[in-house]
Amino acid sequence: MTKSVSIEQITKKFDSSVAVNNVSIEIGQGEFFTLLGSSGCGKTTLLRMVAGFLQQSSGHIRFDRKIIDTVPAHERNTGMVFQNYAIFPHLTVAENVAYGLKVRKQAKGDIDREVRKMLELVRLDHLAHRLPRELSGGQQQRVVLARALAIRPDVLLMDEPLSNLDTEMRLHLRSEIRAIQQQFGVTTIYVTHDQEEALLISDRVAVMSMGNVEQIARPGDIYLNPQTLFVASFIGDNNLIPVEIEALAADGTASARLPSGERTEARAATGQQLTQGTKATLSLRPQDIDLAPAGTGGLQGKLTELQFLGGTIKAFFDLGTGKPVTVSLQGRHGTQIPVIGETRSLIPLPGATTLYAGEVKA
Amino acid sequence: MTTSVTNNRLRGLLSFWPIVTLLALVCSVFLLLVPVWNIVSLSFAGKEGGAGVFENYVMFFSEPYYYRSLINSFIVSISATVLALVIGIPAAYIVSRYNIWARSLIKTAVVLTFVSPPFIGSYSWVILLGRKGVLTQFFAEWGISLPSIYGAPGIIFVFTLQYFPFVFLLVSSGLKSIDQSVEDAARNLGSGEARTFFTVIAPLLLPSITTGALLVFIAAFTDLGTPIILGEKFRVLPVLIYGEFVNDFGGAPVLASTLAVLLLIVTTGALLLQRWLARRYAYATAAIRPLVMQSPRPVKRIAASLFIYGLILLALLPMVNIIISAFLKSNGPVLVAEFTFDNFDKVWRLAGGPLKNTLVFTTIATLMCAVMGTMIAYIIARRPGKISALLDTAVMFSYAVPGIVLGVGLVVTYHNPPLALTGTPLILILAYFIRRLPFSVRSSVSALQQLSKDTEEASINLGAGPGMTFLKITVPLLSMAILSGALLTWSNTIRELSATLVLQSGRTTTMSVEIFNEVANGNFGTASALGMTLIVLTFLPLVLLFTFMGKSEEALV
Ligand SMILES: Nc1ncnc2c1ncn2[C@@H]1O[C@H](COP(=O)(O)OP(=O)(O)OP(=O)(O)O)[C@@H](O)[C@H]1O
Ligand SMILES: [Mg+2]
Repeated sequence: MTKSVSIEQITKKFDSSVAVNNVSIEIGQGEFFTLLGSSGCGKTTLLRMVAGFLQQSSGHIRFDRKIIDTVPAHERNTGMVFQNYAIFPHLTVAENVAYGLKVRKQAKGDIDREVRKMLELVRLDHLAHRLPRELSGGQQQRVVLARALAIRPDVLLMDEPLSNLDTEMRLHLRSEIRAIQQQFGVTTIYVTHDQEEALLISDRVAVMSMGNVEQIARPGDIYLNPQTLFVASFIGDNNLIPVEIEALAADGTASARLPSGERTEARAATGQQLTQGTKATLSLRPQDIDLAPAGTGGLQGKLTELQFLGGTIKAFFDLGTGKPVTVSLQGRHGTQIPVIGETRSLIPLPGATTLYAGEVKA
Repeated sequence: MTTSVTNNRLRGLLSFWPIVTLLALVCSVFLLLVPVWNIVSLSFAGKEGGAGVFENYVMFFSEPYYYRSLINSFIVSISATVLALVIGIPAAYIVSRYNIWARSLIKTAVVLTFVSPPFIGSYSWVILLGRKGVLTQFFAEWGISLPSIYGAPGIIFVFTLQYFPFVFLLVSSGLKSIDQSVEDAARNLGSGEARTFFTVIAPLLLPSITTGALLVFIAAFTDLGTPIILGEKFRVLPVLIYGEFVNDFGGAPVLASTLAVLLLIVTTGALLLQRWLARRYAYATAAIRPLVMQSPRPVKRIAASLFIYGLILLALLPMVNIIISAFLKSNGPVLVAEFTFDNFDKVWRLAGGPLKNTLVFTTIATLMCAVMGTMIAYIIARRPGKISALLDTAVMFSYAVPGIVLGVGLVVTYHNPPLALTGTPLILILAYFIRRLPFSVRSSVSALQQLSKDTEEASINLGAGPGMTFLKITVPLLSMAILSGALLTWSNTIRELSATLVLQSGRTTTMSVEIFNEVANGNFGTASALGMTLIVLTFLPLVLLFTFMGKSEEALV
């Protein structure tokens, strides 16, 4: 039976550098949970601690409330899928899938039946007696997935399983993984640095940065309601404009002054504490901006560049903020396309602007 | 909570790798460190020279009879090293760069001279160039007197021919890792071939050259068979150790131990120097486009060919001579030009004794090396830490301990009850095992470094414990490396002489000792027949290694 996973205040130090810093995550039974972050942020380190290949410096890991800190890796009953496949090159496809079952000393008949079932599931039953070197990368990764699922793992662990595949295979296998995970209902921890993949495939996502968890939320919330400046800048296209907080109202709205001297009203993002008179960052997604004739309110910007991308058109406006502000327009029939050099009013959708304490790093 | 943690700790210690590590440490302690420790302490504590702690050493350095041997050892080893470089480097360069005829045959010939037992080469030269030697007498009829094969010049001559392959093979593989662009750049800047070699190629070959030089030095410094056969009054250190050991037999071999310690200091020093140099000059280069083959001008090509063919002919001469004289009637040390199979009678007579011993001991030791060596390699490559580094050093050290030193050490340690092992087959097998362990370890370590850890972790993850993962995943994936390590071990063990001479008893004598005795008794015909048998047994696994496993000759060093 699949298990819940509790990661409680886990820290991992290598010599003196901290790879994972006081991370706590609760993962429910059957949940598809993703660790998302750029290279070196500690995703693999965290996953390998759950698998038992690394021992945490402090904190506990529980499966179904039971502490497993000292259970050796081979007794944790996790199924792992590796970035570079880690297929057993000297065993056939069927033998690879049977490996964990043989280790568990199951009866031969049961093993054969189970292997056939698993290979049908990943649609490789016709290749059962091939050796791995005769398979494509995508096929190898499906063998590894079948091998990991065959042992009915308490937790399925996947470390960037798609990153060595070409785009087409990646998209294909991505939906396959999600479908199989739901069919099995197995608790899954998935590691990726590809945010589109993370948002598409997961029940919940933890965004990590430099060993810390920045935010844990459902994909929609991560995108629509980023709670830290890092998440706001990391997930999706975003305009991040340096501002100064001029006034703070009792209801949480603030008046922010842009470098150009213009002012705008905005709310602090969830969990953000603003202080009057300090520097802050204003976040506004490109698709949350409407254009209006110059001088009709909002922020005034001069169009400097246009990029036609088919369905969307990206317009870059100079607001005197250093970096141009991106507005994305729908490439719909009849859309009014501004002319370069023109000044327009940029009007944010109500509630779409949020503020974060602190400044973005250059 | 606390008890469960302690239980898990305990279970951790009782699991597969900790037990194997302990076993490996026990092996190196009891087979290597204790024996070495014992001869060191014997050399200080023994009563032979007098009462003082350094008395034995004081005596060594004050008696010319003793200290001359150390000087002699240095003379022959350094001379042989220099000559091996002078011959080996150009030979490797020519065979690797010039399109001379039969290049692969030349490499095979070099390997053949390399693996043939050194002492067989020596007495073969005695047959050819000794006082009643075939060539000596032939040239005497023409009024030409050839230089004597006995004494220092003869030893240097034989060592050079025997050990130049170290340099040849290492430099050949060094040349393989140099990129053609390096040479092109130098030529483009206007430097000629010789100048390019000395200013660009040679510096890049420095790691190979220094390693080759030190391996020649160590091999020459510790060789026992050749100087016994050729030395006569010219004594080197290993000969003295053997002599003192035989004299002392029954008592404590105090003087032999003292000499052995001196020998060990030199070899250990040389090995440390080699490691240091290798690290210092390691340019990690991988050739994208290796050096191309050249077609030199005809004059140059003929000169190069003459040099190579002459060298190979000279190096193979002793072996050809062995094969011929194995089929010749002999009258003591004088061979008669008459065909016979009689010499092989002795081979059949030895089949049940020394021949069987040789095969059995070698096989068991090789298997032990393969099993233990692979596991030690795993610990070194996969479980880094203090203990693993200790094990690595111990394995390196077993490479530094010369056969005769190990032999004396084992006798000193295991001569008396409760562990009276001298004279048993076991002591020989253990000696072979510990001496040749580095072959298996090195072969598996380098294979493991190529192998991603993920595959093993996948197996652990699927529920196989460390031991089972090693057996079902690591060993199959390493099988080629293990096999090639084992074949090298076999070839190097079967011809072992110096430790065997010290450790054998009549019951446990081997082919190499038999050959040695036949030579000592002047039965050259029989010696040749036995020698030929031994060479065939040495060469067989290497044929397998090269033809079926696609290894190149450079795998030997
Ligand atoms: N065995 C180790 N010894 C020392 N430092 C390590 C070790 N393993 C990882 N680190 C460090 O810990 C940090 C996190 O590494 P980790 O492999 O977890 O990153 P990651 O998020 O998986 O990155 P990637 O997307 O590149 O795989 C890195 O800075 C890395 O250098
Ligand atoms: Mg990673």
